[in-house]
Amino acid sequence: MVQIINDTICHENNDNDGYETFCINDNLDILIEVFKRLDGRSLGAAACVCRKWCSITRNDSLWEHLCFRNVSPPPVGVRPVVSALGGYRRLYMVCVRPVVSRLKRRRIGGDSEVVRRVWNRHEVELSLSLFCVEYYERLLVGGGGGGGGGGGRVAGDSPAAAASSLKFLCMPVNV
Amino acid sequence: MKRGRDRKKEPKPKDLHHSVPDSGGMDELLEALGYKVKSTDMADVAHKLEQLEMVMGEDGGVLQLSDTVHYNPSDLSSWYQSMLSELNNTTASDLSDSTHFANNSSSTMMIDFSNNTQIDPYDLRAIAGGAIYGVADDSGLENGVKRMKGSGSESVVDVQPPESPRPVVLVDSQEAGIRLVHTLMACAEAVQQNDMKLADALVKHIGILVASQTGAMAKVATYFAGALAQRIYKVYPKDGRETSCWEILQMHFYETAPYLKFAHFTANQAILEAFAGAKRVHVIDFSLNQGMQWPALMQALALREGGPPAFRLTGIGPPQPDNTDALQQVGWKLAQLADTIGVEFEFRGFVANSLADIDAEILSVDTREPGEVVAVNSIFELHRLLGRPGGVEKVLESIKGMKPKIVTVVEQEANHNGVVFLDRFNEALHYYSTMFDSLESSELSQPNSQDLVMSEVYLGRQICNVVACEGTDRVERHETLTQWRNRLNSAGFAPVHLGSNAFKQASMLLALFAGGDGYRVEENDGCLMLGWHTRPLIATSAWQPES
Repeated sequence: MVQIINDTICHENNDNDGYETFCINDNLDILIEVFKRLDGRSLGAAACVCRKWCSITRNDSLWEHLCFRNVSPPPVGVRPVVSALGGYRRLYMVCVRPVVSRLKRRRIGGDSEVVRRVWNRHEVELSLSLFCVEYYERLLVGGGGGGGGGGGRVAGDSPAAAASSLKFLCMPVNV
Repeated sequence: MKRGRDRKKEPKPKDLHHSVPDSGGMDELLEALGYKVKSTDMADVAHKLEQLEMVMGEDGGVLQLSDTVHYNPSDLSSWYQSMLSELNNTTASDLSDSTHFANNSSSTMMIDFSNNTQIDPYDLRAIAGGAIYGVADDSGLENGVKRMKGSGSESVVDVQPPESPRPVVLVDSQEAGIRLVHTLMACAEAVQQNDMKLADALVKHIGILVASQTGAMAKVATYFAGALAQRIYKVYPKDGRETSCWEILQMHFYETAPYLKFAHFTANQAILEAFAGAKRVHVIDFSLNQGMQWPALMQALALREGGPPAFRLTGIGPPQPDNTDALQQVGWKLAQLADTIGVEFEFRGFVANSLADIDAEILSVDTREPGEVVAVNSIFELHRLLGRPGGVEKVLESIKGMKPKIVTVVEQEANHNGVVFLDRFNEALHYYSTMFDSLESSELSQPNSQDLVMSEVYLGRQICNVVACEGTDRVERHETLTQWRNRLNSAGFAPVHLGSNAFKQASMLLALFAGGDGYRVEENDGCLMLGWHTRPLIATSAWQPES
């Protein structure tokens, strides 16, 4: 997806010498619309493209959209809580991504490997609860030197304080 | 040359038993290949083949066979026999000759020693012999007997263990594991009968046996042996909670295993449902510890429809050895969290040695605002009261005095409070073996983690208390859900069924854990139980006072 955008830009630049070129970076609203449709991994990759894109992807509402776009009905009143606990981006990295990927692999009713992209209210609630617990644990630890090995796959922007109670989410599952 | 003593429990070429028998007594299938084996001998041919395979599978086995001359290879039975006897003869000779010639040619050769009686636990020499020589255990012998009976030959070979110790010890870990359990039980029985000398000898012996084991079995056995030793030498440990590292241990247990998380989440769900619609809520927590249960509840309250209620938390905890006010620190952290997510929060901490010292007046529940809904929460706390007569009844009465809307109780699902020590011991052995097994699954994904070790120490303290302590010191008096149901019913509480929301949430939580396949959530008449495979380990139940 990112590749296509870049190619488009080069293509446009080459073909229209002298004309007004279309640069996606001048039309941030379109860029944001594109980003809204990306999955988490692509969004992370987009953040690595350039500084402008990086700052755009840090916009928490993008991650909010990513977390909840498949949940129906969309949860209300969650935003202030999540923002206070560290933001949607952190929520995604710490809870949503592992929870969804872990539960996706679960055998559902005897079928094997049913890949679900829509997740339900219970999973949302569970993710939020775990997120809150993680925040509390960071409080307990004191916000300083965080748990040692807890950070494996949990990036987030503050690698120091990876709460250890969520370490189990990082462990590989015996599928 | 080493001898493989680990025999598989069932003979591998099982289908040979069912081959067509009637072709002059020879097995048809093998005859087609050129071997003449009597169908009646199939079983012991298979047996010999197994033994040979074990032996020859190790280094040097094949080379040892160069001396034998085989005269009639189509006669499989005697061919194997000659190979086996040659292998036997290359080692200490006092052993197999007697057996080799003791029976007729179609009898089964038993390489390993067998005692045809159950190991007499009071015969220390027999046990010592077994540990050093790796005596085949009885189930292996039974298989041998079955096989021999199937083939029509006679008696079991009874071999006395040789007098001189062997230089190489090869102990099958599965058989040694069974031996370990038997020795533990024998030691407990000795303690039960106050035969301390024997118990002492057995405890030391357990130490030797444990060295041959790895994994959960070894750890469990170590803890139980240590606890037995403490009981024998009358070194009674103090209640674990008085040491300051108890809370750290519990935190590690919280992280490694889902038990505490399950307890918190299911209790929270019940409390949340009871708090529906209330504007002011008050939770009395008998087991505050680090307060890990309450962030999730506060978050759920913050996000519920209609906005969060005013949340009051009363936490009860034991006195700290270094006189720090741990409760206040926890309260402070919870207050920070509540402030962050926008929930009006108030905290009160009470220090008490025992729950029986607390009652409604002390908690000043009566000074509540009108319309305040009260919930009482007890996670792994009520069983500690059973040591004192009347303790738990008093607490249940005082709970009723608090007029709660819901009382959530989570307890271990086991009967470790029986009157007879031996019964308690056996129950505890099974229970904690299962628990350690479940912890082991998380070990597989994160080997050598400190968390795991700490969790095991945490459980080890419980084991020590169950086994080594008596009287009021013994606080880990777990009882089953049925027993708690009876107790709460007779104290005037009616059960509240935990809903399917709690069940779904618990199932999802368990699915997130590595090794999650082994954990099972069960619903038991309105209560939820978390178990490892088929064994339930903890049970959550909810109650309300009968009006």
